[in-house]
Amino acid sequence: MIGAVPGIVLAVALLGGLAAYLRVQRDPPPAWYADGGVISPTVGLTRTEKPSGVLRWLTTVDHKDIGLLYILFGTAAGLWGATDAMMMRTELLVPETVVWNVETYNAVFTTHGLTMLFFFVTPVFTGIGNYMLPLLLDADDMAFPRINAVAFWLLPPSLVLVRGGLISDVLGAVLGVLPIGVGALLALEPVSMGWTMYTPLSTEMANPQIDVTLLGLHLSGIATTMAAINFIVTIVTERPDDLGWDELDIFSWNMLVTSGLILLAFPLLGSTVILLLLDRNFGTTFFAIEGGGPMLWQHLFWFFGHPEVYILVLPAFGLISLILPKFCGRRLFGFRFIVYSTIAIGVMSFGVWAHHMFATGMDPRLRASFMAVSLAIAIPSAIKEFNWIATMWNGSLELSAPMICIVGAMSTFVIGGITGVFLAAVPVDLVLHDTHYVVGHFHLIVVGIIPLAMIAASYYWFPLITGRMYNQRLARAQATLLIVGAFVTFVPLLVLGYMGMPRRYAAYPAEFVGLNQVASIGAFVIGVSVVLWLVNLVQSIRVGPIVEDADVWNLKETGQFTREWQWFEDRIEKRRAERPLPDDHTGAESEPSEEATDPEKPD
Amino acid sequence: MTRVRRGVVAVVVLLSVVLAATPSTVAASSVTDQLIRRLNRQLLYMAVPIAVLVEIILIYTLWRFRGNDEPRPTRENRQLEITWTVATALVLLFVGTASFHALAHPSVSTIDGESSDVPDDAVEVDVTAEQWEYAFEYPDAGVATNETLVLPENRSIYLSITAEDVVHSVHVPELGLKQDAIPGETNLLRTELTGTGEYRLYCAELCGVGHSGMLSTVEVVSEDEYEAWLEDQRAGEADNESATDATNESSGGDEP
Repeated sequence: MIGAVPGIVLAVALLGGLAAYLRVQRDPPPAWYADGGVISPTVGLTRTEKPSGVLRWLTTVDHKDIGLLYILFGTAAGLWGATDAMMMRTELLVPETVVWNVETYNAVFTTHGLTMLFFFVTPVFTGIGNYMLPLLLDADDMAFPRINAVAFWLLPPSLVLVRGGLISDVLGAVLGVLPIGVGALLALEPVSMGWTMYTPLSTEMANPQIDVTLLGLHLSGIATTMAAINFIVTIVTERPDDLGWDELDIFSWNMLVTSGLILLAFPLLGSTVILLLLDRNFGTTFFAIEGGGPMLWQHLFWFFGHPEVYILVLPAFGLISLILPKFCGRRLFGFRFIVYSTIAIGVMSFGVWAHHMFATGMDPRLRASFMAVSLAIAIPSAIKEFNWIATMWNGSLELSAPMICIVGAMSTFVIGGITGVFLAAVPVDLVLHDTHYVVGHFHLIVVGIIPLAMIAASYYWFPLITGRMYNQRLARAQATLLIVGAFVTFVPLLVLGYMGMPRRYAAYPAEFVGLNQVASIGAFVIGVSVVLWLVNLVQSIRVGPIVEDADVWNLKETGQFTREWQWFEDRIEKRRAERPLPDDHTGAESEPSEEATDPEKPD
Repeated sequence: MTRVRRGVVAVVVLLSVVLAATPSTVAASSVTDQLIRRLNRQLLYMAVPIAVLVEIILIYTLWRFRGNDEPRPTRENRQLEITWTVATALVLLFVGTASFHALAHPSVSTIDGESSDVPDDAVEVDVTAEQWEYAFEYPDAGVATNETLVLPENRSIYLSITAEDVVHSVHVPELGLKQDAIPGETNLLRTELTGTGEYRLYCAELCGVGHSGMLSTVEVVSEDEYEAWLEDQRAGEADNESATDATNESSGGDEP
């Protein structure tokens, strides 16, 4: 390691120097204030503006900027995790291990899980929440802007720590050409103990990268908890007086419950990974066979792990409930009951964790009680689905891209939800547990609902965020492709599970090959669809037509022109007043989001 | 009205196709498998129609109200909310009751400590999982093997499952058997086999690099063949012992 330091220092110094030079060259530092000038004693006398260039993004405490950073980071992590998934499905095209080796396959499904759960889903939803919640609540900003920034900036280092094995390997290979020792870098291999990190496997594996990953998870837990506290305080205290709980929008409700779950679940994960770290390095016996035992890990992990499932999916439910009515031309049906069901899911999610452990040989009476709660949690989920359909009934449906995403999510939710009931029934679970059925079941939710809700949100708010419009036809095709891909990929996995194929198998008996190939093709369809989404949005940020009318979705007509769109309209009006010249249309190279240099609300 | 009738016909056809496709006609090969299969079929009879119905309602709603010129404003309907909540609860209550009946059977779940009162005619096997193979020990017969788990049909089977190193899981899907093998714990898996044949035994819990190769076979044979197999094993072990001049008497050292 010491031998490697001069090389790294040199590289960092070089890059840093280059960046500093370019910055000074490009834009001489303006007069800036670290707090954006908000609490400056000379406020009103001084011009307050954000610094320009990279520094703006590194120092920002504006909720919209941080929201965008979260979304960008989460998307990048999601694409990385999706690459893992593509690698997995490529390996499973053939029964033998011929594409990658077993170590790589095991590492890839481990990092796929960790990346998607901790660095894709929650950051993206936190980002959407960051951008939209203060607008929806009519608040100036999040309650703690600086904690908001800290919480975000803890995430990139966590991701680097968690996925360090690959990064260090690449770094080691690159630096290896120099005459310096890179042994320490090459000793870190990608982790391969499964994202559930069951002991004793995770304590016995020698790979030092596991320790680094555990530290990264701990750090990401701190970041997520900070963001959650910020959301709770914002929703409770930053609302204007006339915005009562009954008026609070459904997305904020879901973010509130999600944040509550994070607050109760993530500290447990943080503590548990520290116990594992101690077991691995300091000879403690929390999870040792002669100590606390392997079952202690499973209980602690799943006591975090099951609420985590709802931490992932509740914001997606919130987005569906928020966006769906906008394309039905009528308000959400059963608002109150949807809120109740969200709260019910939040409470019950802490009482179902042992259904991940039905096959461990626990007392049948305990199994029966966990089965009862696991079945009961299907009721609030079903209530949501029925209310969504009732919202559509008698409405005027407009099949634009966000709506296609949402209807697709509703249709996968039916299958994803009902297959979950089979897993709650203990005897059936005994056969299906740890088979591909489980993989199919939860991916119908985590691919069939969560990304679809995110993409629906991206299509819905894209004009508001960028001031431009995307290619709607391509967006509709992309959404449809994703829905088809999800069914083609994950329904065969359900059948494979019934046939008995276990999860996490790099090689599998030849009789399973047909369905695996279908699933892999479906996965590639999903991959193509994601690329289309990315191309459409990136290209539209650059050259998409500029939005002149804030009412992109004809919401005024149905009285659903909500606060965030009102804010957008005010911004457009302001821009028009400032620059009345019509040649604004051709200004394609100017970043639209940078036009909004004033973070203050007009009122 | 014809539209509705056509819809009903479509639903019925779809349902019968789906039900015909469900894997319910294969003969069960163990008591456990039979119980779980029956429960699974009962659940499918409810789940498939509900899933198809909801999807059809969703698609029908989409088709009927697409571009509808006269949307009606949303009006809360508490009765409707209560109705579908209660209906869902009733369905799940049925699922819970049916599952509980299957769960209560000793072939599906065994209560700890039951291993002490194993009936005399039962076959007891100690299954020990270790990276990445299984050891099968027949303490009554004094036989041990790493190859296949040979079991007789129509007798009570008691498998005591444990692991040496990390968590594994004994998974024989065709016999409806699954039990995690946890180091430091011994868990009981009970069943009775009703059909001869060979069934694949998988490890279902990630246990390291060799996980996907940790396969074995459960061979269910008739009573006579089972006894003959035990004899063979004993003879084989005795041969091995005399051949290697083993000084320690192994557990399978009875001379035939």
